[in-house]
Amino acid sequence: MAGRGEFGVEARGVTRSFGSVQALGGLDITVPYGQVTALVGPNGAGKTTLLLILATLLAPDAGLVRIAGHDVRQSPAEARDALGWMPDTFGVYDQLTVDEYLAFFADAYGLPKQERPRRVRALLSLVHLEDRLGQPVHALSRGQKQRLGMARALVHRPRVLLLDEPASGLDPRSRIELRDLLRSLAADGAAILVSSHILSELEEIADRVVLVDNGRTAGDHAMADLTGAEARVRWRLRSLDPGLLTTTLARVLDGQAGLEATADLPGGAEVGPLTEVGAAALLAELVAADVPVTGLAPAGSALESAYLAMTENRR
Amino acid sequence: MTAHGVGLMARQEIRTRLRTGRWKTLLAVWFVIVNGLGLLLRLALEASDTSEFGEEGVPMFGGVLLGVLVLTLLVTPALGGQSINGERERGTLATLQVTRLTPGDIALGKLAAAWGTGLLTLLLTLPCVLWPVAEGAVGLGRAAVVLLVIALLIGAVCAVSQAWSALLARSVTSVLMSYLTVFGLLVGTALLFMIGVPLTSERVDHGDHVHTNERTERVWWLLAPNPVVVLADAAPRLPEREIVIDGRVYERTPSSDPLGDLSREVRDIREGEKPYVEVNSATPRSTSDEYSRHDRRDKDDQKSVWQYGLLFHLALAGGSVALTAARLRTPLYRVPRGVRVA
Repeated sequence: MAGRGEFGVEARGVTRSFGSVQALGGLDITVPYGQVTALVGPNGAGKTTLLLILATLLAPDAGLVRIAGHDVRQSPAEARDALGWMPDTFGVYDQLTVDEYLAFFADAYGLPKQERPRRVRALLSLVHLEDRLGQPVHALSRGQKQRLGMARALVHRPRVLLLDEPASGLDPRSRIELRDLLRSLAADGAAILVSSHILSELEEIADRVVLVDNGRTAGDHAMADLTGAEARVRWRLRSLDPGLLTTTLARVLDGQAGLEATADLPGGAEVGPLTEVGAAALLAELVAADVPVTGLAPAGSALESAYLAMTENRR
Repeated sequence: MTAHGVGLMARQEIRTRLRTGRWKTLLAVWFVIVNGLGLLLRLALEASDTSEFGEEGVPMFGGVLLGVLVLTLLVTPALGGQSINGERERGTLATLQVTRLTPGDIALGKLAAAWGTGLLTLLLTLPCVLWPVAEGAVGLGRAAVVLLVIALLIGAVCAVSQAWSALLARSVTSVLMSYLTVFGLLVGTALLFMIGVPLTSERVDHGDHVHTNERTERVWWLLAPNPVVVLADAAPRLPEREIVIDGRVYERTPSSDPLGDLSREVRDIREGEKPYVEVNSATPRSTSDEYSRHDRRDKDDQKSVWQYGLLFHLALAGGSVALTAARLRTPLYRVPRGVRVA
């Protein structure tokens, strides 16, 4: 990794304002090689602004941004050679055929002429569009265009991948294929940053998750920490006697900060965040109090809990 | 910036362009209209027989060229008027900007494509332009110079249109501004000149009456950027002909030469009229003046105007390309209003 830096993406103290609106207020993020890092945050948190800065299209007002060791302001060309970028919405040249489209970008990225046809075929089979060879781009469906955009981002074998909502518009099979593709690229050593709202999916793809809110980093977790036994999630309880459950929960949880039960669920309640050990202890207390509990299960994922905890103050 | 990058961008632009509209139909219609008008002009000239000594070729050449110039300049803004912001609207510009293509590659490649298309429209007008040449009425040199000037003017207008498309977020607005620019060059310069003449004229007080001397040499430069003026003045003069009338030999310029007439007119304007003391202000001076002007042979000391106009257009084109490239440069520090980065 000599000369490439330790991280595929290294951003420290990044700020960016649009007029009087501050989109990023000192954001930090690192994306290591060989891993998929998820970028999660509410609408308007600054995810797309950050990706535009990382993609060398937008200059940060302040802060350090390095792509594969290259400063995006001082040497954007080197950074561009190292990065593949897929925006959340993009157009394609409708008039071209699928292979012409990719061949154009292969040329624009400086791939040697004799290598281009082979590269185009390899990319098309990578995103499962090989049967579309020679067909016009405008005949593709939305999901197929999305996959073509993915192939475009990979045309020059970038070491760093920046993907903004790559799964939007994809059918379930394509999502699974995208997941497998990203995992295999990471296994080959690429540094991948994915922004998405589909949290359950990110849990399967990502090794790390960076939470952003209000233009700042709100959390940086290894996915294993979030999903392991030590993860604190919300739990859903069901009982034959919802009234008794609610009153008992209120008594048991009284005095424990941050553990309010939501009782408006039909026939049950939600508590948390609790670890598995905490949940087991709570269940024991409820059973001891003769509450007829019929179910105890994690409500949503750990990532979802972390996300909801972060965005709670917005409500 | 590399030749390869410019070429790649130009090929891409032409390829995406050719496959969108009904270009073949449009070009065919263009061909029929322009050459049809040229043919009609020729027939009209022959019918009215105003030109002397069977020289219909000279006025035809001038008329057709002026028409071709105005028509191509009217078509040109449509070629480059949305090349940058149109691509931004379709969401394809940012994906170009993250490749190795530089802002110069993109700007010059797109300009080359637009200019090339403009030259194709010029090429289609050749049959009626070259007819007088084939007849021998107009020399090949004159035709070549005139076509070259039109080609350069088309390029300049393409560059300006492209700069508008890089400056303005909406393609509708940039196309409109491109048309207004062409209108300003063709009509605006003449209007400004007409306004400028009385404003700069000289009042001479004779005691019993006052009269004004027009000092056109003070405002001639307002006309210089006018494409029609550049074209007419740049056209090499036709050789003077010897005419024998009643045994005497006269040398005179060919009559009904629109380009030559315009050129002489403009050079007179640049020279300005010598202030003269008028004995009888009631006598219209135009009769004698007009007569002498028309009958005048080309003077070698008359200063030409076209080089200033052409220089203006080249500077305008250069500035436009630089502006376009500057607007394509990333990373962006200031995001212009209404512009989506990606």
